Amino acid sequence: MSKASVFYDRFERHSHGEGLKGHATHYCPGCGHGLAHKYLADAIDELGIQDRTVAVSPVGCSVFLYYYFDVGNTQAAHGRAPVVALGHKFANPESVVISYQGDGDLASIGLAETVATAQLGAPITVIFINNAIYGMTGGQMAPTTLMGQTSSTSPAGRNEYNGQPMKMAELIAGLDGPVYVERVALYDAKQRIKAKKAIQKAIKLQVEGRGYSFIEVLAECPTHLKMNPEETEKWVKECMEPVYPLGVKKDITVDPWFKRNPPCFKGEKILSLAGATSEHPERFCKGFPTHLALNDISLKLAGSGGDGAQTAAMLIARAAISEGFDATHIPSYGPESRGGTSYADVHVAEDEVLNPGSPDPQVLIAFNAPSLAKFGPTVRKGGFVIYDSSVVTDAPVLDPSIKMFPVPFTGIATDLGKAVVKNIVALGALQAATNIFPKDTLLGSIRTALKDKCALIPLNEEAFAWGIKSVEALEK
Amino acid sequence: MALKERPKPYLLPEYCKGCGRCLDACAKDCITLSDQINPLTGLVPVELDLTNCNACGLCMDACPEPYGLRPAHEGEIQDFELEDPAKIFGVKPSDAPVPVDLPSEVLPLPRTEPLVIKGTYASALGALLAGCRHVYGYPITPSTEGAELMAKFLPKLDGTFIQAVSEVATVNMMYGTAGAGLPTMTFTSSPGFSLMLEGVSYMIGAELPGVFVDVMRGGPGLGNIAPEQSDIKLACHGLGHGNTQAIVLAPSTPQEMLDLTMLAFELTFKYRNPVILLGDGYLGQMTGKVQLPDTMIKPGIPKWAVYGDAMHRRNVITSIFLTESDLEAHNVHLNAKYDAMKVEARGESFLCDDAEVVLIACNTPARTAKGAVQELRHQGIKAGLFRPITLWPFPVEELKAAIHGAQRLVVVEASAGQLEDEIRLALSKAGVYQFPEIESVRRMGGVLPQQSEIMTRVLGRKEVLA
Repeated sequence: MSKASVFYDRFERHSHGEGLKGHATHYCPGCGHGLAHKYLADAIDELGIQDRTVAVSPVGCSVFLYYYFDVGNTQAAHGRAPVVALGHKFANPESVVISYQGDGDLASIGLAETVATAQLGAPITVIFINNAIYGMTGGQMAPTTLMGQTSSTSPAGRNEYNGQPMKMAELIAGLDGPVYVERVALYDAKQRIKAKKAIQKAIKLQVEGRGYSFIEVLAECPTHLKMNPEETEKWVKECMEPVYPLGVKKDITVDPWFKRNPPCFKGEKILSLAGATSEHPERFCKGFPTHLALNDISLKLAGSGGDGAQTAAMLIARAAISEGFDATHIPSYGPESRGGTSYADVHVAEDEVLNPGSPDPQVLIAFNAPSLAKFGPTVRKGGFVIYDSSVVTDAPVLDPSIKMFPVPFTGIATDLGKAVVKNIVALGALQAATNIFPKDTLLGSIRTALKDKCALIPLNEEAFAWGIKSVEALEK
Repeated sequence: MALKERPKPYLLPEYCKGCGRCLDACAKDCITLSDQINPLTGLVPVELDLTNCNACGLCMDACPEPYGLRPAHEGEIQDFELEDPAKIFGVKPSDAPVPVDLPSEVLPLPRTEPLVIKGTYASALGALLAGCRHVYGYPITPSTEGAELMAKFLPKLDGTFIQAVSEVATVNMMYGTAGAGLPTMTFTSSPGFSLMLEGVSYMIGAELPGVFVDVMRGGPGLGNIAPEQSDIKLACHGLGHGNTQAIVLAPSTPQEMLDLTMLAFELTFKYRNPVILLGDGYLGQMTGKVQLPDTMIKPGIPKWAVYGDAMHRRNVITSIFLTESDLEAHNVHLNAKYDAMKVEARGESFLCDDAEVVLIACNTPARTAKGAVQELRHQGIKAGLFRPITLWPFPVEELKAAIHGAQRLVVVEASAGQLEDEIRLALSKAGVYQFPEIESVRRMGGVLPQQSEIMTRVLGRKEVLA
């Protein structure tokens, strides 16, 4: 006898295939799942995609889908089948991925995944078995349970306090993502033929890379509806169908679009994206700036968002590393997206930065008065404070051993025509005030950062030079 | 072309559950409900009288059982008495091939100058160099830069970055891609990691690889976005429901964010088990010097994968074992794997050989503690630092060696004792009950212990507790 479509010849995973279980499903007599399985198997067979198919078993009665289908199988957590399907689809765009789910799985616990995956629109196929009841857990109310219908968790019948039944096909068809949505039934020969065709079409649309499709199948659960199979078919037709009208809910023509190249594993490409280069940066330092500290210099740059404190901090760290030292930079921001506080802790060490925070910096660059007031008193004795004298009119009185450098960062930058270069003015001032690195080290760091915006280099060089001049003028 | 003759139905009574759905499908009334209980099944199968059958096939379409009403092809069934299913349907459940491992390749990388990048960027680059091209994520501070970098780079490498609807969806997308046998990862932070734990348990149960970079932040609840070592307990002892363990790595520099992310991918495939990389908010945001490696990985496809091709058709990814003995056997297997992971324990000792005071810390607090050790040494105190690099399995042998001569142990951590609990548990399990009283420097709520606080603790023996 020929193999039944893409079903296993023997259901090895069903109680180890022993006895009758080797060829019988675990479903109750008259259950709609078996029919949906058969139509799915037929579709896979007729489309010739058995090898490429990945079936995602959900949680619910169809959790054992993988007992039966001789395809790649994966079993998902409750409600997560569509996103597991996406994970498979993007891993292998050639695979044909089917998310087979019941009403509790799809329309209750997995609603977010269901809707988001439908709207994403990537070509997967969702088969949704709606039997208006929880099967595996034993007859509890489903999101699709009808008004008035009794269940073990709506013993008096579903009422307004349980909410209305979820019409998933209509909901999904209302999204832009899907290309094809249809609701079908299994209660008579005519409906079964339609169901079979709908499932086949839904998978074909995926195979052709046209998009996401969703088939809702009104199915029978004689056990938990507490009827015989014949009565259940009748109930689906007479009670369910009026609430869940059958038919095509969405069917749009879309050209095949889902085409993805194999991922790139070229090292050069990653290095170039990372901005890594084998060019040795020129070094200008004769040694570690031990006149500031033996092996670890602590700096803090503070201002508001937009002052450029973080960029300046980054430029100092890069300058240090280009000289072969170690450096760290830790940014911290207020909760505001723009205009809040913006502080940077920077450390430069000869070998290894051991403690990257700067609670008591040797050097403070303050871009505004609150920053100066807050961090000025934390500066170590004998340290340096460089601040924007354009905006700070009243500098606090600090320990007399601390050298103060009022430099009009904003004024100079505005005169140069670009207020945003005030942080570069500050870097120039830092260089002149502390001689942390030679001028060329910091300039090299600035030029590297601007290598894709070369036109801005002269302006930045000028800003840097003005920062130096301002400090020199103070020292005269 | 000759018209194909349509086959009439055939039924093995054992495979009929007697639901009767075929009855109204037959216009010729060939099928009737019987009253004879089948002794093999205890069910009442339908009876067929095919005298009037016109082979329309509708009864077969109405039968919910794959091996219920089926087409009886001419010549295939000679002997209706032969009812041994193995003889009728054959003994081979599937003709799918037996899969083999398609190994990953190690490719050389040209030597480059060190980069100056953030911890999260370093981790993202590590993932790319480890061969990961499938990243899923949900934005959460302070880990988002990793996802942003992936969103920028992956399309240029024909990879996939999808911003999922939630962390729950994220981990399940990872489950899918991991199930297909490919490297996958996410960046998240504490509240997001909590949401992922269901999926982590499923991945462990289904033996799937995946790398979770959790840039820990202050908790509980929404807490704040500042650094805390808030998820050590979760990663070491709370990876969702059931018997779950995973290797937990704790980097302390941007360089280690890259190195340990690459190691995480190696280990996650080696053991077919997720690997958790715990960073702290400081480390995620911190910019530092990062040297890229000399080699990178082009991943293969393991033989267990469900890739969606002929080679892997026979595979299944699942964590359900319905029979108790099967599930117990699976847990025994997982336990053996957890035992095998113990060789991956890594720790680092700094000046511990003659140390009288041994500080123990990981992540950024370990850096701060290292600074304190140096300062204490300047002051003539024999201090050392032990830094666990894997928090699970805990490097207890290395710890034992490091504290061998210690008179004082000081645990420095940005949590309410989660690291200390790991240390105590590890020592206890290793049978070490005699060790100096554990002192602590703890901060919480997004505040990291400062070097000055460590100094105060060691020099003044004062409690430094937030």
